[in-house]
Parts: sequence; C-alpha cells; structure tokens
Amino acid sequence: MSLVDLMSMAKPNLESRDKILAKLKGIELVNCYQCMKCTSGCTALKLLELKPNEIMKLVNLGFVDELPSSDIIWTCVTCLKCVQRCPQKASPYHVIMALRNLAVEKEAKVPEGFLKAVSQILETGLAEPPQKIVTRKMETVDRECLKLPKIKFPKESFQAAFMKAMEEK
Amino acid sequence: MKVAVFWGCCIQANQYAYEMSLRETLPKFDIELVDLRETFCCGDPVKSMNEFAASFLAARILALANLTGLDNLLVPCNRCHFTISEAQDTIKRSLKTAKKIFDLLKEEGLEYNPNIKIWHTIDFLHDFVGLEKVKKAVKRPLKGLKIASHVGCQIIRYSDLGRVDDAENPRKFDELIAALGAESVDYAEKLDCCGAALNRSHPDSALSLAGSKLKAVQGLNVGGMAVSCPDCQLMFDARQKDAGTTVGAKLNVPVVYYAQLLGLALGIDEKKLGLHLNQSPAEELVAKISG
Repeated sequence: MSLVDLMSMAKPNLESRDKILAKLKGIELVNCYQCMKCTSGCTALKLLELKPNEIMKLVNLGFVDELPSSDIIWTCVTCLKCVQRCPQKASPYHVIMALRNLAVEKEAKVPEGFLKAVSQILETGLAEPPQKIVTRKMETVDRECLKLPKIKFPKESFQAAFMKAMEEK
Repeated sequence: MKVAVFWGCCIQANQYAYEMSLRETLPKFDIELVDLRETFCCGDPVKSMNEFAASFLAARILALANLTGLDNLLVPCNRCHFTISEAQDTIKRSLKTAKKIFDLLKEEGLEYNPNIKIWHTIDFLHDFVGLEKVKKAVKRPLKGLKIASHVGCQIIRYSDLGRVDDAENPRKFDELIAALGAESVDYAEKLDCCGAALNRSHPDSALSLAGSKLKAVQGLNVGGMAVSCPDCQLMFDARQKDAGTTVGAKLNVPVVYYAQLLGLALGIDEKKLGLHLNQSPAEELVAKISG
C-alpha cells in the first residue's frame, strides 16, 4: 500500500506530530516548503521508491501514526544528501530517524538486522562478532594469526549503562 | 607523536586489512597509535532504534579517549566518525540530553571531554600529517596506476557537522592518491553510495547499489578502486560477486583501502598490508604499477 492510500483513511494526529518535533531538537521540520530537492537526489528513490518530501508533508500535516508501521521508513540508506541539500534545514534524514525511534517505542515491526545488532552489543559490546576470514588463496585467518592485538571487550559496567541508555526516550 | 585510535566493530571484526595497513603505515610518519581501553559499538546501528543510546555510546568513546590524556583521536571508519560527530553536535545543542549522558558516564567513573579532536584517515593524512610529508615519504611511486576514488557518504556529509571535505566536490582523497604518483580519475558515479546501510533492512537493494557503482567503475578502464571506509570495502570487495549478480554483470574490479595503496608506495611488504585478505583481485592492481 502506498503512503497516499494510507493517508486517505487517516485523521491527522497533532500529538504524534509533537512527539516527532520533540525528538528533532531544533531541526526545522515545519520550514519544509516542498521544493523536492531531497527526493530528486535521494539514493533510495530509484531503488525503493522512498520520497522524503512526502514523508515531510505527511508529518507536517499530522499524518504520523501510519508511518512507524510502514516499511518505507526503513528504506533510507543514510547517504545524507537530503540533509546536505535542504535549503530550509528541515532535514528528512532526521525526521526518518525520529520515525524509526517512534516505531520502536510503539513496538511496530523493526527489521531484524537492527534487533540483532542491539542484542549483540548487549552481549559483547560489539555489533558483530570477530570473524575468521578466508583469503583469496583459500586460507582461513583470524586476528591472532595476522598478529593483530587481541580485542579488548568492554567491562561489565558497560552492559548496565547501555541498558539504561536504551530505556531513555 | 602519540594519537589515540578508535577502530569500531567492522574493522576489528572482519576488515582486518584496514587495521593492518594503518598500523604499518602510520609509524613511518612518526605516529604512534594508542588503542582505547575497550572496543565497542559506536552507536550507528543503535541510532535507528534509540538515538539517545547511540549518542551515549559515541560520547563514551570520547570519555575513554579522555583517559589516554591525548588530544587527538583517529577514527578510521566513516560511520563511526559520523556517529561521534553527531553526538558531539547533540551534546552542544541540547543541555538536557548532555546532562543525561554525562550522568550515565559518571556511573562508570567516566568523563566526557569536549576538546578531543577527531580525525578520519583522509583528513588525518591530508591535514594532520600533511600532504607534502606523504609525498616526500613515497619510495615506490605508483606510476601508471589509474584509480577510481570512492570517498563515501558520511565522511563528507552533512557539512553543518564539520566533515573532512566539501560535500559536493571532495578533493582531498584524490590529492592523497595523486601524492602517491597514481592518477585519480573523475567519473559520474563518484559520489554514489555503496549501500551498506541497507544491509540490515534490504540486503538485496544494498547489493544492487554496490553493483551499479562497480559496473560503472569496471567500464572506466582503471587499475582499481580506492576506499577509506570498512563498510564500503565490505560492499565493494567482499560482496563484489553477489553485487554483480544483482546488476547482471561479471565484476572483476580490484578494490583496496587507501592505506594499502599508501603502504605499497612506501615500499611495505604486501602481506603486511593485508593485500592477500582482499577478496577482489588486488594482484591485478599491483601488476598495473609500472616501474
């Protein structure tokens, strides 16, 4: 379903819009005047039909509630061209990140890759475990045989602090 | 001179060649790298789920750098560098968030230091070490080698955060390549994204972004591609075959880290630079160096 279909049945919710504005801490979403510089340069447009200007308009009008459960907010590649080029400093990238955070708060569907990364960080501190890799000549190597220093995993106090940080909204 | 270094996950978990080549090349410029007390995630994958937690992780890096007593921190990964820059900016802009972060750090006995200057490989070599010094150190110029440079997205955008180079026309990376005696060619797809950030949600689309760029580079008749980010290297080098499948092309493009090129020009042994770890045909690039 496209974003427009969702919108035709929805009612604006200004409270949800305020939630996004609060998360943006000074990024001027309301200044967007739909020049579409963001969408014309968007890396994810060709590939996954992300139209940042539509997201900006929907949020500005208060049609926020459908977006966190839409897959469209997970198509951004964070190339940051929209932030760079926005003449109004309205920054679609930041709005999309705020929507992703809202999706987590609302317990909407979050791509597994992100959940995995967070649980991996809780477990080891790193987002991915150190791997053995295979060279072009098919030899298997790891840090030790490459004479790289041992990884210094974080102390136990790290887990507690990170868990607390994840509870903040 | 001593400089603190934060490697991040990707480099320390599988992109060993980047770490090896930096550890080999920087001492030739009298730089001694000092590792932080711990390695952990910079916060990048966390940002999509909880921006506060991401800022906390990034601020924690600067708090650990503070323990070294050094003023300069090298962050060789584009994403880590961006996430730390973003956190620095958030702390400056929001007193409330800053206080929450500082309180959490205090629980571990850590203190945030706003005065630590962070560097990426590109501006570290270009501005801190100095382009002239890099030029002078070259023992084996990379004559005859044409390179397509890929500087990456997050290290040049967005300018308000203070990035290492101009957002629309970055030149430093090309100047660094030229300093080694190689030629950096301009091409239309130069600023296109590698797609790595889509790996967690749309892996096929991520590969097709990498594939289209590699296909363009293959048509340039260059010796290879140089990158300065572990995520970009992962997409263009380790996943090159799969990327080719998504765009219907048989790809055979040597992709190397700039630090590896630098090492070759300084006359360092290929194995010490981890050139055998690249999955793309790095030996074909080396063979194109004449003289």
